[in-house]
Amino acid sequence: MSAMIAAPSPLREASASFVRDRIALAAMVLLCLLLTAALGASLLSPQNPYDLAQLDILDARLAPGSASSAGGTYWLGSDGQGRDLLSAILYGLRISLGVGILSTLVALALGLAIGLASARAGGWIDALVMRVVDLQLSFPSILVALILLAVAGQGVDRIIVALIVVQWAYYARTVRGAALVELKREYVDAAVCAGYGEARILFRHVLPNVLPPLIVVATVQVAHAIALEATLSFLGLGLPITEPSLGLLIANGYTYLLAGQYWISMFPGLALLLTIVAINLVGDRLRDVLNPRLQ
Amino acid sequence: MNKKAMISFASSAFALMLLLTGPASAADLRIGLSGEVTSLDPHLLASQPNLTVARHVFESLTDVDPQTKLIPGLAESWRALDALTWEFKLRRGVKFHDGSEFTAEDAVFSIARPLSIKGSPGGFASSVRAVESATAVDRHTLRVRTKYPYGALPEELNSILIVSRKHAQNAGPEDFDSGRAMVGTGPYRFVRYQRGDRLELARHDNWWGKTPPWTRVTLRVIPADPSRTAALLSGELDVIEHVPSADLKNIIKNNKLRVSQNTSWRTILLHLDQYRAQPPGVRGPDGKPLADHPFRALRVRRAMSMAINRNAIAERVMEGLAVPAANIVSPDVFGHNTALKPLPYDPEGAKRLLEEAGYPKGFRITLVGPNNRYINDQQILQTVAQLLTRVGIQTRVEAMPMSAFLGRVRKEETAVSLLGWGSFAADLALRSLVATPNPEKGYGAWNWGRYANPKVDTLMEQALASVDRGKREALAREANTLAMQDLAFIPLHHQVVSWAMRADLAYAPRTDEFTFAHHFLPGVR
Repeated sequence: MSAMIAAPSPLREASASFVRDRIALAAMVLLCLLLTAALGASLLSPQNPYDLAQLDILDARLAPGSASSAGGTYWLGSDGQGRDLLSAILYGLRISLGVGILSTLVALALGLAIGLASARAGGWIDALVMRVVDLQLSFPSILVALILLAVAGQGVDRIIVALIVVQWAYYARTVRGAALVELKREYVDAAVCAGYGEARILFRHVLPNVLPPLIVVATVQVAHAIALEATLSFLGLGLPITEPSLGLLIANGYTYLLAGQYWISMFPGLALLLTIVAINLVGDRLRDVLNPRLQ
Repeated sequence: MNKKAMISFASSAFALMLLLTGPASAADLRIGLSGEVTSLDPHLLASQPNLTVARHVFESLTDVDPQTKLIPGLAESWRALDALTWEFKLRRGVKFHDGSEFTAEDAVFSIARPLSIKGSPGGFASSVRAVESATAVDRHTLRVRTKYPYGALPEELNSILIVSRKHAQNAGPEDFDSGRAMVGTGPYRFVRYQRGDRLELARHDNWWGKTPPWTRVTLRVIPADPSRTAALLSGELDVIEHVPSADLKNIIKNNKLRVSQNTSWRTILLHLDQYRAQPPGVRGPDGKPLADHPFRALRVRRAMSMAINRNAIAERVMEGLAVPAANIVSPDVFGHNTALKPLPYDPEGAKRLLEEAGYPKGFRITLVGPNNRYINDQQILQTVAQLLTRVGIQTRVEAMPMSAFLGRVRKEETAVSLLGWGSFAADLALRSLVATPNPEKGYGAWNWGRYANPKVDTLMEQALASVDRGKREALAREANTLAMQDLAFIPLHHQVVSWAMRADLAYAPRTDEFTFAHHFLPGVR
């Protein structure tokens, strides 16, 4: 009896509401599968696509389903160096998802701290931070990332840094807006009267209330970051050419498209597309669930 | 979809529109070039893309036929008066595009001009290094004195294009790009230039040669391989050079198109650092430094050469657009030795040799090369890396645009580097690639590994000093053989170049890879 009266926990309510949408549920399942595949890439892949000694140039550009000279089968075909595309896609997914999630988390933390501080400080500090954010947001993110990589050089660590730089401003702006509203609420005044410290009020009281919109922004941003990483790799600014991620696989296969060897570009492209669509569907549903006004 | 593909779709759609609105006149020829043109100034930078466009407007004293045999150009004949003096009889009645007459004074001016350009990235200095003085004996006789006996002078002067003294005096590279100084004797005259996009040319009707069939020529610069192919397929272009190997099969099958191909003079090779005790990027399998000068051991160089499956590269990477190499110059070229055969692919033998040389577990290297210069260069780098890794030489690959790559080489940051070299003659190639580096004499400017072999040097010098061509070729062949048996560098293959064009056109494929509008013939169905 008492259990029925007690308010259900917000998390449980949200997840119950989430699964009511079948498409979002399917996207969630797909995303989990992709994540598992990426995490288990080294166990699932028939070949280590980054170990040059395992590649055989005589197996280059074989069609999907062809037998490999080592006795296996190239289910999705092989690329111009005789690399098994299935393995390359699994490893590439690991890079894409890893780079996307890691850069988003760091940018989220950074933007959160800056946005909260800016909202609380107000005055000229707030104005200055927001002008910097405006400046940052007025440049296309691909341009900023390209400039950063051109200056800093190539490498996966630099790509992550570049992605953080182009993302933090979104979070800072979102958090600041939400925090300004929350800071005017009575519970903040109450906390101030209770004599709590500045940091405690910001992080224990205000932060939980600004999180829902941030989660939505972050989910969409992961997809954005993955697309950006793929673009940069496509342009040849990513990892070494012997360790192709999805973008570079697509770029390599592009040479063979007119020759009818579609699989080198198409399958990595499909993997990228599925990942981004799944994340966006999940993000959309999260926005609906977490936004009380839309319910 | 990606950006590049969208651009090529857009350009195909645009081409379709052009086709519908008004087909190009029958006497027009539109050619797609593969290399970036950095300047129209013919004396600024000796790069093939720049010279391809410049040679439509300008000519040189000596010319070469499609097989790189020396033939008369603006000079009708030449001979060595003595070991140090050459006399060139110039063609009479040759007119510049402005109608003025070509004389020996223009030749004297043009030979001096390359070295007078300030801040030139160069490449021409080696061609005129031997020249002591050039003088006009009369309007149609040029005399060139060399600092030392030099048999290759006629070949060298092929690199020096003749500009009009009247128009090029005090002209800088910008005056050529604007068209003001673009006054030559060649078959085409300058009309319009859009940097990075196209050069438009019109026929020079007073040209001394056989009147070319095309009244207007457009040279388009399209470095992206798929876009170049798409432009040909859509009918936006009549001809493309450097047909991407992946598209070759389909283009050959297409009965609206024709392909013309030939073994080029360009040899693709690997330079190995032989001068530093610890070459950069070279380490033991455990990451520790190796014994001194690992690449000085012939066994190591042989092992690396045997580890490379040249036939697999030719077939799988190049789609047949390569001839496995054992020579410094390709088969048509002066000084080639047909008796030299590539080392057969033998990974087990390579492992044994490495073990004998003291590397039973191999070692690590970094292979560096361009990704936008030679046919499939980036794929070749990866395949070589994979083949070397198989015999225990763990190879990391760094591919970058040619300009960035040359910067790295100049800073001496590379130990194993990919280079392509084309030359008229084995002795000239040896002087650049194999001779012990000597900046004063201009030797070994591209000998990045600083291989040094006094016997090869002596033979090469004797060859270059011979004004008798028969004697010179024998010496050049001997020097070539010696250097290749000693693996001064590791030869990979000779590039095969191809042109694709409308089926009613014909082109004699050139060993020197040049694309000349005036050599395309119409109406040959």
